[in-house]
Amino acid sequence: MAILCASTSTIFSSSERTSFGSLKKTIPSNQSSFLGFFPVAALSKPGSVLPTTLSFSKRDFRVCCQDLSLVPENQRWMFEESEADGPDIWNNTWYPKAKDHINTEKTWYVVDATDKILGRLASTIAVHIRGKNLATYTPSVDMGAFVIVVNAEKVAVSGKKRTQKLYRRHSGRPGGMKVETFNQLQQRIPERIIEHAVRGMLPKGRSIV
Amino acid sequence: LVDVEKNSLFASSFRGAHSRLTRTITQQRIRALVSAHQDRDMKKRDFCHLWITRINAIIRGVGVSYSYSRLIRNLYNKQLLLNHKILAQIIISNRNCLYMISNEIRK
Repeated sequence: MAILCASTSTIFSSSERTSFGSLKKTIPSNQSSFLGFFPVAALSKPGSVLPTTLSFSKRDFRVCCQDLSLVPENQRWMFEESEADGPDIWNNTWYPKAKDHINTEKTWYVVDATDKILGRLASTIAVHIRGKNLATYTPSVDMGAFVIVVNAEKVAVSGKKRTQKLYRRHSGRPGGMKVETFNQLQQRIPERIIEHAVRGMLPKGRSIV
Repeated sequence: LVDVEKNSLFASSFRGAHSRLTRTITQQRIRALVSAHQDRDMKKRDFCHLWITRINAIIRGVGVSYSYSRLIRNLYNKQLLLNHKILAQIIISNRNCLYMISNEIRK
């Protein structure tokens, strides 16, 4: 306990918001075993001892703790009493509930594909569809957004790919392979080019089509 | 419970013959326990993977060419011991806090 008091008081004395990152570790008492290995001098900036009034408001740092009695007296201001009865966010990883991924409330993006390079565009589209740019990403749940691509026939491609990139498909029968170049497919069904590109970048065999 | 009954109680929710025939019960029980043992370690890996993906997703939004790997490098340089679980939970509950931490670390 002596170590606990010493480190918290030195951290407490630095009045910047930035020491909050180090504060976060010392507060839950079940992590107090860390303190023995703490390079305390490296972490907290040495400063004069401050009274309990600090420059930042209580509202900005919402720290949650299940059991307020474990927290020492002078740090209780950081804990919101209302959160103490809520879900335990420090011991249970967040998993989306049904209301977090309703289809009707997802964002829709509209992308104009004129003169964008095919692969780079498809890459960012796939990231948004999968939901990999969100903090709430979960592999088992489709948290991604919907993407609408406009002007798909004007998508650009570098080098000689217009004439040399081949799109193959097979009907399943022997000798049933059909090959097309990028140009021919663009004449026939231009949307399929972007669909093919994005589908190749998404996980296969799953409900995220 | 007698040992035989304990055995079949373990496999009582298995499908088909795996819950009815004694020999297959013992075999399937062994396989189930092995899976449980392996997956206890895989669970730790899976969650770390999930936290890393979540952290990466948000950190890349901070600025051009800022990524999870750079964040971790900065964390280690400043000797900040926050683990991935806590970082991921901070991101979900209180994202400004993470931006503050990352800005402070980048200096």
